[in-house]
Parts: sequence; structure tokens; C-alpha cells
Amino acid sequence: MSASVLTQNPIAAGVPVDVRSGKYLTFALSNEEFGIRVLKVREIMGLQEITAVPQTPAHVKGVIDLRGRVVPVIDLRLKFGLPQAEYSQRTCIIVTQVQGESGPLMMGIVVDGVSEVLNLSDQEIEDTPDFGEDIGNRYLLGMAKVKGKVKILLDIDKVLSTQDLNGLNSILR
Amino acid sequence: MLKLQELGHLIDELAVQLVMRQPETPVRALAGDWVPRLTGVVEAARAQGAIEAAESAGSLIALLTATETPESDGVSEQLQAGLAQLERAIREAGAPKTAESPLSIAQDPELLSDFILESGEHLANIETQVLMLERDPCDAEALNAVFRGFHTIKGLAGFLELWNVQKVAHETETVLDRARNGELTLTPPAIDAILLSDDYLRRWLRHLEAPAPSGPPIGGEEALLERIRGLCSAPPESQTSDPEPKREAESEPAPPPAEHPETSEPTAGAEPAEARRGSAAAVKVDTAKLDLLVEMAGEMVIAESLVRQDPELPTLRSARLQRNMAQLTRITQELQKTAMAMRLVPVGPLFRRMARLVRDLSRQFGKHVEMVTAGDEIELDRTIVEELADPLMHMVRNALDHGLETPRERRAAGKKETGRVTLTAQHRAGQVHIEIADDGRGLDRERIAAKAVERKLIASAEGMSDSEVFNLVFEPGFSTAAMVTNVSGRGVGMDVVRRHIDKLRGRIEIRSTPGQGSTFTLKLPLTLAIIDGLVVKVGAERYIVPLFAVREMLRPKEDTVWTVKQRAEMALVRGALLPVLRLYKRFHVTPATTDPRESVLIVGEVEGGRFCLLVDELIGKQEVVIKSLGETFKNVAGIAGGAILGDGRVGLILDLDRLFKERTDGGQ
Repeated sequence: MSASVLTQNPIAAGVPVDVRSGKYLTFALSNEEFGIRVLKVREIMGLQEITAVPQTPAHVKGVIDLRGRVVPVIDLRLKFGLPQAEYSQRTCIIVTQVQGESGPLMMGIVVDGVSEVLNLSDQEIEDTPDFGEDIGNRYLLGMAKVKGKVKILLDIDKVLSTQDLNGLNSILR
Repeated sequence: MLKLQELGHLIDELAVQLVMRQPETPVRALAGDWVPRLTGVVEAARAQGAIEAAESAGSLIALLTATETPESDGVSEQLQAGLAQLERAIREAGAPKTAESPLSIAQDPELLSDFILESGEHLANIETQVLMLERDPCDAEALNAVFRGFHTIKGLAGFLELWNVQKVAHETETVLDRARNGELTLTPPAIDAILLSDDYLRRWLRHLEAPAPSGPPIGGEEALLERIRGLCSAPPESQTSDPEPKREAESEPAPPPAEHPETSEPTAGAEPAEARRGSAAAVKVDTAKLDLLVEMAGEMVIAESLVRQDPELPTLRSARLQRNMAQLTRITQELQKTAMAMRLVPVGPLFRRMARLVRDLSRQFGKHVEMVTAGDEIELDRTIVEELADPLMHMVRNALDHGLETPRERRAAGKKETGRVTLTAQHRAGQVHIEIADDGRGLDRERIAAKAVERKLIASAEGMSDSEVFNLVFEPGFSTAAMVTNVSGRGVGMDVVRRHIDKLRGRIEIRSTPGQGSTFTLKLPLTLAIIDGLVVKVGAERYIVPLFAVREMLRPKEDTVWTVKQRAEMALVRGALLPVLRLYKRFHVTPATTDPRESVLIVGEVEGGRFCLLVDELIGKQEVVIKSLGETFKNVAGIAGGAILGDGRVGLILDLDRLFKERTDGGQ
């Protein structure tokens, strides 16, 4: 499933045959390590003041100015149902470019801290085990085992799908 | 419809018939059988763009039906030669197409959109030049420009396999070519036909622009082609090829139209020069790139002000730094101004479209109208210019229909028979004012008042100022035209105008003197990208209220805000009770205070009424660049967009219209 998703993606179109191998930016969230494709990342910035937008779900922190563009920011902890954390010096915003309904769009995610960029091969990536309904398997590309540690690889397009956001919006309203 | 190959067979058959006929059978006996078939060939060839084939088939028909020439073997030979030529033409027309069809250039959307863009420009230019030709049929330069326009369109259309477009352009070009050679004088019917074919091609472009063009729904080309060909069929006056005929044509200009000579002169003289200048040094740029540049320039201004206002800067006490900072400021401002100016386009082309409208309508109404424009070079944001076309058209129609009198009425009133409509654009205090003035009968206060009373819009006009009475014409369903014509008088015009102008954040004013005419003034902002905003604070959040919707601001006293049935709140402002919307309740923010006496009331005027917005405090007025919040937040009610404030944070721009409409939603 993940394979077909990525081949359709114009940004990932240039990567080699197994679409899951390649470079990933890893970051910490609570006590877990996550990874997203480097090709999806536009910029990493320190935390800055976020303007709240009324009547949006709690995980939507608001909007920031990215060199003249208004970019929405999502708190990934809240999105994944993890406990809210105080923002610290390490907290940062990863600005990603995802597929919106009408073309690519920029979105920021608040994470506890950025770790490193990993080059993952085929052998290191495994399919996601079936956790049952509530874990939200559809957000995941797979799991990677690197030096005895497990990294959860996210399909950021799905995580930040605007349909999701809009759906929540209409429920809230 | 016949394919080209099938045409080939048909020709073969005809050739065989011609050779095999009994020697004593006159050639013309074949005509009964041939003419319908050849007519079919002409149509099929035209439809498929084989213009040469169509022409040679046409000449065959002419040969067969030319009864005045005596029957002889000469005719038979001519027919044979003609058939051979037709066959060749069909082969030629067929050959490149079969080779190219797999490539299907015609389907390339990029080529097509280029074609639409380019042809649109040509057609606009053609219209202007034709109107000039109408005034002076011997204006060789205008004639050449029109000819080139049609010629280019013909070429492009052929490349894209748009046969109908090519056909019409070709026939029009033929007429123009003959006019160039002095074989034909551009009489008013000819001018009409050229304008009609301009219109026809525009309709085609619009059709092609539609997201999913299917089939050729544009009809009427046959009638149009007939009309154009009819112009050519007049016997040529001269066949000589020396430059003399042109002189001849000049000495004998077209007789003025019998009904009434109608002149339309947009800024006499200045226009052709301007048109040429416009095409000389211009580059086409993707609007997305342009928007990005404007955005970046705006960012630069903010970044620059962040640096300039840095508290550490004055402590450095460096004269050099001061100087360089001043230089940076100057350059930044210049850059932003230039970037903004790139989105602006002159109103001239819009005015010229109105010139065409005036020309057509004046004939329809049987009125003599002279149209004058000024300020063609004044520039406005391109979206505004586009949006302005409709309201301007309504107003020009009204001026011609209701404003100007008939020639007889004008004579009786001691005025010149020719009425005058003036379109003026000018800069006034950071705005652009566009005036539509006529020297007609002026607005009739009594009639408007009577109508308004009849329509129950007002109880009585007593005590109302003239401008208040005049403004009644903008009420929906209001119309004083005694007779409903097919262009105006249905009472939809003026309220549509007002709605358009409101959308553009503009205002409209009427001045009128009985017997001397009326003037409608549109006051428009230079651009829609920037608004004057009132920055307000609620709790820790800052919002931007568009200033154009703000009527007043006040700090409420103890007895200003009232609760109605413990639910809704009303405020008494200047004797009027207005609903109050507490912004913090609506947006679920924690305010600094919930006591109205320590807050500020902003009276906003929106479509459907006025209301008060309760906020914590006013911070100030600021010009902001409007940015979209994107699809993520497209469902957030009450927010029109975002803007980067001076400190680099995003401020949300309030949508007062929706806040007002949905004021009961989140307020409980």
C-alpha cells in the first residue's frame, strides 16, 4: 500500500525502485522516535510565536509567517493523542511540503526535538505490524530498526491530510 | 461531412464524366448534376480548412453557371484544368494533416492557452483599430494593423486545427487585403462585418477557454461568412497594382452612414501611439511569479522595519550605519512600490471596450453620441479592472438609454444634436476615481421619489437631500425607465453596479443637474492586495478589522450596552439599537476584561445592516498585505485571511460579513 502511494507522489518520483528506502529526518516525540522523508522537509526552525486560529481542533496550533507565507502549524503530540508537553529550547517546527487537495502546500509540525538524518536501506525497513484499529496504521510507512532502536516512519501526507482537518473542523462547528 | 479522400474520388468521377460525355452534349448539361456536388466539395473543404481546394471548387461552379459565355470547347478545357487544380489542392490539404495527426499538436493545452492569450490581444487591438478606421477609412496604418491581426490569428488557428476560426479570419483578411490594395472601400457595412467577425472570434476564444470544450457550439459562422463574402463580390474598382489606387481610395472616403454619423473618439490622437508603445517593450510573466515577487517585496519591508526598529541599533551611534540604514529603507520602499506597480494595468483597454458599446448602442437607440475618454493611462490592480467591466457597462448603457435624449429632444432643448458621454479616470487621494458623465437630461428627482414611494422604499422624499434621493436608484428592483428596452430598464442594472463596487471596496456617488446631465463617480482602491486595517486586541490575540467596513469606534458608557431577554445584547449608538458581538466569546479567547465599559465597541457596516464588535482595545491603523490562510482553514468562519504584522507575527483579518451573518452561532 505504501509503495503505491509514494510512486504517485511527484516529490518522491525521483527516488530509487524501493520507494521506502532513502533518507529520513528523525525526531523525538514523547519517548518515541519518528522519521519522515527528507524530501518532504522544507525547513527546520526554532519555535516562534504562533497565532491561534479560532474554532480549530486543539492540535492545530495556528499559523506562522514563513517569509511572507502564512503556514499552518500542527502539534504532532496532540495530533497523536500524546500528553501535551511544555515547549522547551529543543522544541522546534519542521516545515513540510505535503499534498493538499489543490496542489502542494506547506505545513509546520511541532516536535520535541530533531535528532538526525538517517539513510535507510531496504533491509532496515519493515512493514508495520498490525496494532489493531486505534493506532492509526494508515499514517505509517513502516518501521525501521537502526542500532537496536525502532524508528516509526510516517507518511506525512496522510498525517497532515487537510481532509482530516476539515472533517474535524466541521464536527467542532 | 465528406472526408478529403472521399472528395478525391468525387473529383475523379467528375473528370471521367467530362471526358466520356457524348461530344454533342453541351458541358452545361452537366451543371445540374455537378453544381450540388461541387457545392458539397466547397463546404467540406472549407470545414476542413482546405481553403485553396474550396476556392478552386468555387471557381469551377462559377464556370459551370456562367451562362453568358458561349458554349465552346474552351469551357471544357478550362473545366479539366480546374479539376486538376482542385485535385492537387485536395491532395496538398490532405497530405500534411495525415502526417501530423498522430502528433496532435492541436491538443497541446499549452499551445492552446498561448493561442487564446495572443489572439485575445490581437482581437482587442483589432477592435480599437477598426473603430479608428470607421472614423477615417483611409488610415493605412490602422488598416494594416487590422489585417496583420487577422492574418496572425488565421495562421495560429490553422496550426491548431481550428478550422472555423481559420475560415472566418481568412475571409475577413481577404476583405481587408482588397481594401489595402484599394480594390474596396471600407463602407460602414464592411466595418460592421469586420466587428462581427471580431466578436465571433472572441466567442470562440471564450469557448476554448472553458474547462471542457466539447464540439463546436458556436453557430452563425455561415451567415457571417456570407456577409463577409458579400463585401468582396462587389466588382473591383481597379486592378492595377501600382500604389495609386490607395490614393484613389483616400480621395473618396466612405459615405457617412445614412441614418446618423456617429463618432467615437477615445482620447483623440493619443491612442495609436499608446497602443504601439504598449506592444513595444513588454514581457509576459506568469501571474504566480508576479504574486510571489510582490509577496517577497512585502516581506522585505517587514524585515527592514524589524532591523530598523531594533532597540540595539541606536546604542551603536554609528553615523555610517545610520546612513546605510536610510539607504536600505529607501531602496526597500522603492522595491515594494515597483513590485506593486507590476500588478497594475491601465484602464485604457477597458475604456476602449466601452467605446465599442457606445457605438453599437447609439445606433440601436437612434441617438447621436460622441464618446470622450481621459486618463486612459491611469492604472489599477488587474483584478479591479476585470471586475469593473460589468458595472461600467451597465452605467454606460444607462447613460445612453436614460441619460441622453433623442436628437429631436436635444434640438428642442437647444443643445447640440450629438450627445456626449465622458469616461474619466484620475488619481484622488490614494484612490482612483472613475467618472461616467453624460450631458443628457439628468436625473429626475421627482420621478425617482415618486417611484420610490410607489415601491414602498420610502414614505416620502420630503426632507431628503438630492444625493439621498439619487441613491435610491441603487435599491434592488428600482427602475424609472418608462419603457423596458432590451438593454436597460429592467431594474437590475444599478443594484448590480453597487454590489460590484462594494465587492471592490469602492464607493459610488451621483451628481446631477436637471437638463445638463449626470455624473456617476466610482471611488476605487488602487489594489485589492493591500487594505487599511484597524489592529485590535482581544486577550493576547490581535485581529485586523478592515477599515472600509468600520463606521465608528467608541468606548461604551454604562447605559450603552443592553441585554435583551438575558440573551442577546444591543448597544445604543446615536439613537440606533445595534446588535453586539463579543469577539472573545465567538472566538473562545480569554479577554482582558468582560466589562464593556473597559472595552471598545467598533461599529461595522456590512451588507444587511450595522452591528457592534466588542474588543479589548485598539492598537492602531496599519496597511496590511492580505494573504490567504490556505485550504487548511478554508472553513473557519469569520476569518477572511491573514496578514504579517510589523513584528513578524501573523494577524488574522476578520470577515465582518460572516461574523454578522453567523453572529448567533458561537455567541451563546
